[in-house]
Amino acid sequence: MPRSLGITTLKILAAIRDGDAYGLDLVTRTGLPSGTVYPTLGRLKRRGVVRSRWEDQRIAERDGRPRRRYYELTAEGLRALEEGLQEVRAVADELDPGVRGIAGEGSAG
Amino acid sequence: MTFAIARMILRLAALLVPRAIRSDWREEWAAEMDALEAWGEERPAGMPGPITFAVGALPHAASTWGEGWTMDGILHDLRYSFRVLRRTPVFTAVAALTLALGIGANAAIFTLLNAVILRPPPGIEDPDGLVQVARSYETNPRWDSFSWPAYEVVSAETDGLAGVAGWSDEVFVIGAGDTVERVIGQLVTGRYFELLGVTPRMGRLIDASDDVSPGGHPVVVLSHALWTRRWGADPDVVGRTVQIGSRPYTVIGVAPASFNGTEKVGYSPAFWIPTSMHPGWRGDLPFEQTGWSWMNLFGRLAEGATIESLRASAPAVNRALASLDGVAEDIQVVYGDGIGLDPAERAEAERLAFSLGVIVLLVLLLTCTSVANLFVARSASREAEMGVRAALGAGRPRLLGLVLTESGMLAGAATLLAVPIVAVADRIVPLVVPMNFATTFAPDARVWTFLVLVGLGTGLLFGALPAWTSARSAALRGAGGGRTTEGSGTARLRGALVTLQLGLSLGLVSGAALLGRSVWNARTADPGFRSDGVMAGWVDLSSTGRYGSEDVLPFFEGLLDQAGSEPGFAQFALTSDLPISGGQSRASVQPADRPEADSFEAEMTVVGPGYFEILGIPILQGRGFDPNELETERVVVISQGLAEMFWPGENAVGRELAGGDPWRVIGVVPDLQLRSLRAQGLPAVFYPLGPSTQPSMALMTRGVGGAPVEPAMIRRTVAALDPAIPVSTVLDLGRAVSTSLSETRTIGWLVAMFASLALVLAVVGLYGLVAFGAARRTREFGIRIALGARPDELTRLVLGRGVPVLVIGLVLGGAVTWAVGRAVAGLLFRVPAFDVPTFVTAAAFLIASAAIAAWLPARRAGRVDAAVSLRE
Repeated sequence: MPRSLGITTLKILAAIRDGDAYGLDLVTRTGLPSGTVYPTLGRLKRRGVVRSRWEDQRIAERDGRPRRRYYELTAEGLRALEEGLQEVRAVADELDPGVRGIAGEGSAG
Repeated sequence: MTFAIARMILRLAALLVPRAIRSDWREEWAAEMDALEAWGEERPAGMPGPITFAVGALPHAASTWGEGWTMDGILHDLRYSFRVLRRTPVFTAVAALTLALGIGANAAIFTLLNAVILRPPPGIEDPDGLVQVARSYETNPRWDSFSWPAYEVVSAETDGLAGVAGWSDEVFVIGAGDTVERVIGQLVTGRYFELLGVTPRMGRLIDASDDVSPGGHPVVVLSHALWTRRWGADPDVVGRTVQIGSRPYTVIGVAPASFNGTEKVGYSPAFWIPTSMHPGWRGDLPFEQTGWSWMNLFGRLAEGATIESLRASAPAVNRALASLDGVAEDIQVVYGDGIGLDPAERAEAERLAFSLGVIVLLVLLLTCTSVANLFVARSASREAEMGVRAALGAGRPRLLGLVLTESGMLAGAATLLAVPIVAVADRIVPLVVPMNFATTFAPDARVWTFLVLVGLGTGLLFGALPAWTSARSAALRGAGGGRTTEGSGTARLRGALVTLQLGLSLGLVSGAALLGRSVWNARTADPGFRSDGVMAGWVDLSSTGRYGSEDVLPFFEGLLDQAGSEPGFAQFALTSDLPISGGQSRASVQPADRPEADSFEAEMTVVGPGYFEILGIPILQGRGFDPNELETERVVVISQGLAEMFWPGENAVGRELAGGDPWRVIGVVPDLQLRSLRAQGLPAVFYPLGPSTQPSMALMTRGVGGAPVEPAMIRRTVAALDPAIPVSTVLDLGRAVSTSLSETRTIGWLVAMFASLALVLAVVGLYGLVAFGAARRTREFGIRIALGARPDELTRLVLGRGVPVLVIGLVLGGAVTWAVGRAVAGLLFRVPAFDVPTFVTAAAFLIASAAIAAWLPARRAGRVDAAVSLRE
């Protein structure tokens, strides 16, 4: 783990984990501006945390629209996300022990 | 509609993306936009609108630049750029020096803007909390000083100010014997230093306890400059006494070097004494008089008060002021933000800064285009290198970065070279600007920041264009391509740059010619008087305290007799003001026969017998004052300008000027440049010593044979009447005038230097354009010659390249000339802002230089040897 991930990055990684997604989808789900999401995706791709694949040309043609680029986590991405979430929980515990229960429930569900 | 705009933003953003990944980038965003559009109006919560969404593509596009950029790569670029620049030392030196001049000139002019407009007067604590307080009238707005009773009212009635302080400049005679000099000192109220928050260099400053009873407390605070000059920075000066006017004063402290009073324009005071020590005027003191306005006021805002709340509370102060005896009903107190410049001075300073700013900005633009041109020319010769880089996989951003690193490095070197220019700016700039400044121009952090910003901006400006084209052409062409003809894009860009260069140069050359002609006019124009061989010394009676107003005239009469018996004086005369050498009085005059006419502030001088004779001023109409006796009647001599203003087309002799009993005009003299050699002479009025008197007059003398006399002779003449009267500041008027001229010469040199530089740059640019174009086409010419083309046809072909550039350049130059003329109008002397002969001459000069610059390479092209060129 070279460097701990920021909340923004974690949000995006989590959104990708919850179902392979294209950019607009991630913007909508994270509520982050497009000017943040896309450059972050580019950065994560260069770090090998995220990879992208193009949608099957036939599907796009059937729907009469351009191909979409879908993003997914690499193995390292999955690990980075989990480590990041743990770190966030640890920080939350340290700052306010009362939050623990809630955070625990959240991750269990 | 919104989607159309959003797609437009995407198209623009795509331009930023490196070519290699651009189509992928486009496709991704097209799909995203399509998906967004598919939702239509029923977008789920959290999904952005199309434009907001598309704007996010801009940072995304920009972020793609970073791909392939690493710290190693940047270091490599820096090292490589350094090697490239070192390999072409002449190119590097010319480019860096050119840029340094452009950058340095801009920063130097910024020191003016900084010192006079942006920066508060130095040495003052929290200058933002200060406000200027001035007197005006509802029916006659102005910015004026207060009388002592009015000052007391303002001080007592103004709620929003923590305190009010006042000051007044006066001319004082300081010292005794041979060390006597005339200096400007300031009378200040007790809270002056406290409200300004000045910390003494040593001793203490004047406080409220010093400023109580008139004449009761002779203490003085020395300025750092006076302390250094007269006392050699003596650390034991506090407690010493110094003669000021008629009394010895005790030195109580020295002000810090940074503090030069509150005014940025005008003169720095040499010392400060309490207002209670006012020397009075003809035996009167000003403390009871409402008609005697001499106090300049400022205040410090009270806690929580603002200048708006202060203005809102003004009516109460106005009512209190109007209740004073002898004060007009519509008197108003007005407040000005900050301190250091009154509104008129601010406007004048801003106008000057604008004039000079336009010029130096043009110079910078010119240097940028010149260097950009050099770069484009060189990038053309580096196409092969760029081609190889592109072929090996360097993307456009990488190539762009490489060229920008180089231009940035060059701009950095130029900025360093500009540092000495800025360092001497505080000595050069005041010479160029026809104003007196009390503030220092020494560069501060703001000036250095400006220098660095201009340097960086310049690097980007001249680097970006060539960088862009070279990166593009490299991507388009292979390593071996583009040898026979110049790339059309590069050629167009170079043509445009040279056109711009020619236009800017023409504007600068004609602007310089305008200023040069002004300087020439100032040097050759007859100022209207002869100053050579005139030695003058000031005789100040008020300083002794022994002469009442009724004793002044008899004394000067005696002085004239005494001077008459001195065989060393071939000519002599008394005057209240010396031409050119600092300070000229003004008086409000009005024709007596037309009381409805506006009064006019004319240059005013009180003169004794022989004044017109010693200065060689001709009498155009009527007669001058009696050359031997004091005039007894109320008569005046006026200048032609005043005569034409008041009685146009008529004979002014015999007419009268209003003023108590009227003053009868007995003679008319030409307009004289009494104030400055660089400004048109203003309408002037001369009052005779006799009916009008002044306690302080200068004795002007000319020695036998026209040579200046020894200063001691003047001192001796005065001492023969009263050895206690100091003769201060004896000066050689002829030398003072030529000093004033040498300043004009300095400006002329500066301007000529810039103009020559501009011209050389433009001509070199044109030469480069034609020569380079011709060289690139050598092989083509070889083929043409082999096919039977005649040399002169080829010459014409090459020359043809320069003609449209020159023509458009001339048109552009006309526009620039017009703009430059407008900008410098305030600095011109006896030349119109757009002077056709000047422009035509400058244009002809430019055309001639350009013709030679273009013809040389064109002729060479005609001599191409077909066999040799085809072998290349």
